Amino acid sequence: MISRVADSCFWFGRYIERAESSARLLQATRSLVFDADIPVTHCWQPLVIVSGEEAPFVERHGREALGNGELVQEYMTWSRENLVSLNSSVRAARDCARSIRDQLSLELWEEINELYLFLGRESTETLYWENREEFYRHVRRTTQLILGLVRSTMMHGEAMRFLWMGVMLERTAQTARILDMHHHTMMRESAHEIVRMALWMSLLRASSGHETFMKKHQGRVSAQSMVEFVLFDLTFPRSIQYTLKAAAEQLSRIWTEPHSSRARLNSLNAWVEQQKKELEIGQIHSVLTYVVDETTSICSKISEEIQGPQRATRVGDPGPAPASGQSQSQSQSAP
Amino acid sequence: MFDSYQPLAGCFDELVNADGSPRPYTRRIHALLSSTPPREFARYQSLAELSLFNQGVTFSVYSDQQGTEKIFPICLVPRVLGAAEWAQVERGLVQRIRALNLFLDDMYGDQKILKDKVIPADLVLGAKAFEKKVLGMKPAGGVRIPIAGIDLIRDPDGTFRVLEDNVRTPSGVSYVVENRLVTKRIFRESVEMSSVRSVEQYPIELAHTLRAIAPDKDPDVNMVVLTPGVYNSAYFEHSFLARHMGIDLVEPSDLFVDDDTVFVRTTHGPKRVHVIYKRIDDAYLDPKFFRPDSMLGVPGLMGAYAKGRVTLANAPGNGCADDKAVYPFVPDMIKYYLGEEHTLAQVDTYVCMRDDDKKYVLENLDKLVVKAVDEAGGYGMLMGPQSTAAQREEFKRRIIAEPRKYIAQHRIELSTCPTWDPAREKLSPRRVDLRPFILTSPEGSWVLPGGLTRVALVEGSYVVNSSQGGGSKDTWVEREGST
Repeated sequence: MISRVADSCFWFGRYIERAESSARLLQATRSLVFDADIPVTHCWQPLVIVSGEEAPFVERHGREALGNGELVQEYMTWSRENLVSLNSSVRAARDCARSIRDQLSLELWEEINELYLFLGRESTETLYWENREEFYRHVRRTTQLILGLVRSTMMHGEAMRFLWMGVMLERTAQTARILDMHHHTMMRESAHEIVRMALWMSLLRASSGHETFMKKHQGRVSAQSMVEFVLFDLTFPRSIQYTLKAAAEQLSRIWTEPHSSRARLNSLNAWVEQQKKELEIGQIHSVLTYVVDETTSICSKISEEIQGPQRATRVGDPGPAPASGQSQSQSQSAP
Repeated sequence: MFDSYQPLAGCFDELVNADGSPRPYTRRIHALLSSTPPREFARYQSLAELSLFNQGVTFSVYSDQQGTEKIFPICLVPRVLGAAEWAQVERGLVQRIRALNLFLDDMYGDQKILKDKVIPADLVLGAKAFEKKVLGMKPAGGVRIPIAGIDLIRDPDGTFRVLEDNVRTPSGVSYVVENRLVTKRIFRESVEMSSVRSVEQYPIELAHTLRAIAPDKDPDVNMVVLTPGVYNSAYFEHSFLARHMGIDLVEPSDLFVDDDTVFVRTTHGPKRVHVIYKRIDDAYLDPKFFRPDSMLGVPGLMGAYAKGRVTLANAPGNGCADDKAVYPFVPDMIKYYLGEEHTLAQVDTYVCMRDDDKKYVLENLDKLVVKAVDEAGGYGMLMGPQSTAAQREEFKRRIIAEPRKYIAQHRIELSTCPTWDPAREKLSPRRVDLRPFILTSPEGSWVLPGGLTRVALVEGSYVVNSSQGGGSKDTWVEREGST
């Protein structure tokens, strides 16, 4: 398929997953604030940090604002300056969708378009202020519906493989970040059993794994079982190992010939497998950091290799692509 | 709903006679609308608009930096054409396109028509759109105007007249197909009952046309639609056409040229492209050829075109055939190339380049519609009867400075069609035009039954362009022998 289109499919998957994950994390954090006796700052600050937005947020709103739940929610939900806000992710996903409209089913396109229109409506702003839970729930449901439609209405060809690989790799990084964030708070609070429990519950909610975990462990909540579940459980579709394996499978079907992104994804998988045997809870932060960094660089490698094995051209080297947003003067008479 | 409907005096109405009675081929829709309570119709209207919006059937507004998208408003009251009158229009369109194709071949070839002084040479050669650089180049498939859109208006006598030709990249056909889907959902029975000719086969006919003009008879002809990108105002249409033909939609940066052959970059390496339906201005096609200062386009594309290795539809350089100053000479072209009289009427036009015409125009600015020859979309226009003295002064100055740039016509009382007026919750007459689409391959021409009817939604307005508050209507062509 056309390289640019493949890249947009990949990114569409990433943006949708990112939007879904943001909505879930915001919802879970709101709930944490009510459940645990943790200083409010310690609930919201990590959310900004794991999104990689601490510096720009502090510059804009000041350090104290990290404890201001409303401000953090607004920044992470609406801000257009924040490229990873919910709003930015949905807009970016919809931009991608427009450019790969021919790859998507009509149902799928209509859902993403309606989600985009939903975020722009005045009545949605009212909903946000009057019923925050319902607002996040709507976004989650729609993004989940979109992911379902990808599997159930798209042709299971190359376009869907790129898209789904984007979903899986984004999920790997999001799960790693969410686990890291909770682990962080845990270290700092190191406190009471009740707080720990609230944090673990929040982690499970943030990763949609609450009931799945309980089914497996029947209430036996411990740091060890929790980390193993989120990192290694191959039956849990948000665990790091599950998502990495799923991404590797899609990639191996796209490119049967050797590609360096494929090789790196396979070795990351092997490395995670290795950690299963020797992981110590104390090292969890460095493990997660490695997973996030390596996933990020695999993603850029994929984007690079999507360009295909192009020969050096003798004539007419196409040169740089036009900057997006640049539109040409239109041909005659628009209707 | 027709109880209080008053046709506009002095205009031809598309649905009813001067006394308000339906025409033979509009009886069914007239009856249906008559029995629809206005409140229910208002509900249909808002449902239709919502559905277009949710489906993203939109165009982008350039003046707006926010990337605002608007729907092209639709009025659900269709415009209906009788089988006999349509057959006549169709013949006229095919004749016109044949002549324009021959004219372009001649212009970029021996220029016989200029040598024979049928058309003033400086008029054509002076056109901004006359592209000296394509002189001598022949399009691979042999057709310069595979896709045309001819704007027609109807005068008070009911005669169709050509207002302008669009033989570069006429747009709007996607709305024809989408509008039909919307009205079909709402008037299901009526469409069937009225025996309306179908329009949804357009993309298939377009694919057929493009395949027929491919450079060689490779069975795996690779055809693409070339768009400037998602920010282009007509992007929806580009995407629509690609999807409905089942071919790839590409941007210039997806293509490259190697050894005078065009390739598209794919995840599995370069793939040859044979036919490009380009929806990009000529100037941005190939920076090496047209605009060395431009970063946009596909370097080397024109080289591949000149060698006949790729078909570009429509052919580069076509702008000199739909130049507004060349328009008055189309009947002469038809006579010259085909030896026939033209069958589609035109609008009498004053060409300011001619001294007599210029003098007349300057003396009668308050009665005329003045148009800049190289502007479109309703821009660069003076509506004399509705203008202010200051606007007339401004145009006077401009015409004297650059007479070649201006033409003038008497304002035609465009025909009207009953149109939903949301403020008054009733039908009111609004002015319409018609843009039929004509596809041409070496095997001949095919005309889309009907075309895009644009309607000036603002009371009293003559400007139907989407950029100036225009909307559209579904256009029904009656099946032969159904009344």
